[in-house]
Amino acid sequence: MKHHAPLSRRRLLLTLASLLLLTAILLCASLCLGSTAYRPWQLWNDGPDALLARDVVLSLRLPRSLAALAVGGLLALAGLLQQILLRNPLAEPYVLGTSGGASVGALTALLLGAGSVLVSLAAGGGALATTLLVFALARNDHSSQQARLLLTGIALASFASALSSLLLSLAPEGLLRGMIYWMLGDLSGAHWPAAAAALLALLVLLWPWSRDLNLMSHGREAAHALGSHTLRLQWLLYFCSAAATAVAVTTAGMIGFVGLIVPHALRLLLGQDIRLLLPASALGGGCVLLAADIGSRIILAPQQLPVGVVTSLAGVPVFLWLLQQRGGRR
Amino acid sequence: MLRGLLASLLLAGACADVAVKDDQGRTVSLKQPAQRIISLAPHLTEHLYAIGAGSRIVGATNYSDYPAAAKALPRVGGYNSFDLEKIRALKPDLIVAWPSGNPARQLEQIESLGIPVFYDEAQKLVQVPTVMERLGVLSGQEAGGKAAAAEFRSRLAKLEARYAGKKPVRMFYQVWDRPLMTINREQIISDVMHLCGAENVFANLPSLVPTVDEEAVITANPALIATSGEASNKVNWLDRWRRWPRLAATARQQLYILPPDLLSRMGPRLVDGAEALCQVVEQARQ
Repeated sequence: MKHHAPLSRRRLLLTLASLLLLTAILLCASLCLGSTAYRPWQLWNDGPDALLARDVVLSLRLPRSLAALAVGGLLALAGLLQQILLRNPLAEPYVLGTSGGASVGALTALLLGAGSVLVSLAAGGGALATTLLVFALARNDHSSQQARLLLTGIALASFASALSSLLLSLAPEGLLRGMIYWMLGDLSGAHWPAAAAALLALLVLLWPWSRDLNLMSHGREAAHALGSHTLRLQWLLYFCSAAATAVAVTTAGMIGFVGLIVPHALRLLLGQDIRLLLPASALGGGCVLLAADIGSRIILAPQQLPVGVVTSLAGVPVFLWLLQQRGGRR
Repeated sequence: MLRGLLASLLLAGACADVAVKDDQGRTVSLKQPAQRIISLAPHLTEHLYAIGAGSRIVGATNYSDYPAAAKALPRVGGYNSFDLEKIRALKPDLIVAWPSGNPARQLEQIESLGIPVFYDEAQKLVQVPTVMERLGVLSGQEAGGKAAAAEFRSRLAKLEARYAGKKPVRMFYQVWDRPLMTINREQIISDVMHLCGAENVFANLPSLVPTVDEEAVITANPALIATSGEASNKVNWLDRWRRWPRLAATARQQLYILPPDLLSRMGPRLVDGAEALCQVVEQARQ
């Protein structure tokens, strides 16, 4: 592991400032790029095209970009928290079945005819239940590879996907369409303010604990120093990672591997300090998903690709490479 | 005085709103007949051409391939994921949508841009000509809409007169091969079967497009099995039934491939599909 300079206020601010700059650049790119040639500066032109550019840039591209930033941030945050909790860099809401659990919860609620608030709560419940189950089943896995943990998660993820299929085949015609579209998810038309608010709230909630999280991620012995704190902290992590996953899934459907790539890349670049990784993951996740969304919009335009396809195409090779690295380090 | 009155009447006539109710019960009203229409489903594109409004289409989803002129229309993506930006840039004054196939969220976004949307949710054969009439009003082709609808209705009436009360034929309609899929009584093809005096052996299944197994088909023992598509692609689909010589449809060689897209699109050519289906039902009846 490379050595990184200890975290100073200056390094924290510099890193965050550069990530913010990257976010701003990507946001600009996202507002400028699309299947049509309209650009933000046409907003200030006179003439009939200004109205059109306004609709394209402000009503279509902007909300979608903000949703991508918020959802990507939530997914990367959920990934980081699960990696701290399970002390395994391969932990990620999609791989461990948390996203699947959220889906099953939400689909059950939809099948019972619940409204949108109950659907979100059920998604949160499903995500929390899956995380707890993974931890309960694999907690005694002390092997250095923690293979059991990953296998448990992957088994639960397939179980959740089978349950989702079962719920879909049980659904009556009237509800089926809504459920399928819910499952597919889509950043276009996603409701970004709720996702952005959730991301901010979770960051504010977690920030005061970041020193303790540092201890926790350094291993069992170090975590013992936290004493009775440990349990409370674990619950906080369960709750926050489940909430982040649930909001992400209800906003934009199942999107994999953002929670894996982003925290991992940031660890390589910035080191292990959670105080830095916490806000950096939120921003970095947003950047990665926004970049993937720009791709999904323009690669085959006017045909739109699901953004989950793009993140998985990029994420699975990274996941496999990581798995190889861990195998080689025996 | 008189001239002023006449002028204002004419003006009022020219500016009159055109308005119809769509299948979601909402009133779609336009300041003037639509000049720039985008169609979000292949059958809606066919409808527009059939009523004489083809020249007003400025964009359509993929697979809008009939009539031949539709192949040259600018594309706005697939029916289940279209490019909103492209749609907005084409400056449509009317969008004709198919909520059974189009994603609800994207339709909401189109509405939030202030573009009028007409929803076609025809579930029954008799509703199809009303869509043509209403599209005729919205596109200023009222006469064309009425004529196309009248022709559709009279051809249906002929089929009904000819086949109503004839001996029912038990039939299996094969939507897909692997997995083996069919339709239940709610689906519009069941409506066509009913018209021809055929009886869907899987009418009572709960889901609209159920997956069934070979065993269930053999147990149901239909006297006629039909599917739609290019004959060269679909011949394998029917071959699987030839392995069962005691199946009534196989024994009497009543396995048919109907022309593609006629029955699967709820457009003007559905009546062609009905005629084709009635013909094979009649052959199976002999």
